[in-house]
Amino acid sequence: MDISVPTFPVRHSSLSLDIEGNKTEIIISSYEDHFLIIVTQIGSMGTILHARKDEGVSIHPTFNVSVTFGKRDEPMLVACARQLIEQISASGYSKGLVLSLGLKDHSVGTLKRIVSAVIEKLPVVT
Amino acid sequence: MVPNDLKEAISNGVETSTQSINQLTMEEQTSQDDGGVQITCFSEVSNEVTLHFQIIRLQKQIYAWIGCNSAKFGYLYAAAPTRPSNTVSVTSLIGGASDNTGSGVARRLVLKTGLNIILACDIPKNSPMLEADAEKRLVQKLISLGYTKPKM
Repeated sequence: MDISVPTFPVRHSSLSLDIEGNKTEIIISSYEDHFLIIVTQIGSMGTILHARKDEGVSIHPTFNVSVTFGKRDEPMLVACARQLIEQISASGYSKGLVLSLGLKDHSVGTLKRIVSAVIEKLPVVT
Repeated sequence: MVPNDLKEAISNGVETSTQSINQLTMEEQTSQDDGGVQITCFSEVSNEVTLHFQIIRLQKQIYAWIGCNSAKFGYLYAAAPTRPSNTVSVTSLIGGASDNTGSGVARRLVLKTGLNIILACDIPKNSPMLEADAEKRLVQKLISLGYTKPKM
């Protein structure tokens, strides 16, 4: 008799790395219509951003990125979310992105490392 | 004619497999990162509806997702006890209106657990029984995992 266990419908993957001296946890979850990416150095989700591809038929997609909770005066966080949604879209997914960034520093170097770590890990959950 | 000890062995075997099946269908997975992030995922059936729960515990905050028969993200809410009197504040972050199911659940989660919570909830509107059931199971799980703060 074959017992098939239903697997949990949401896949997730986590990693822990050091970015410029700060211990950083990254958790990526893949839902049906969204990716949730939590990046934290401070033990909480911090600033939460929402990014979506706009509906439209033009060849070059446009994206809507906004801060829904937290720091609204840090453009680097918005840029980070934008890069990630562009990457997600380029990989063929039409899912939205909920990104949480709880960071001790908002420097370009930190955010670049976060983007590259996430992009590298994304195929694991998809 | 089957000997009695063989019958007994077969029925013991059936009982053990049934228990294993029950455990498997409600299997819970908790994975722990070395960094102290704990992720718990489990599913339960409530009145022919499958509820999925995902709990991510960070040091100072808990993220929870409640799915209803699907893996849709749902609406996102943030809720926390606020000083000075520890009353609970809730805000909808994505997609919500004040009458969506999630905001009430988030508020009561904080009331019962004292935690700082971000909740993504896909339970449909106007399903009070389902909402109450999901909330109960989530609170039970949070207590059993030891995440809740002791009440004074």
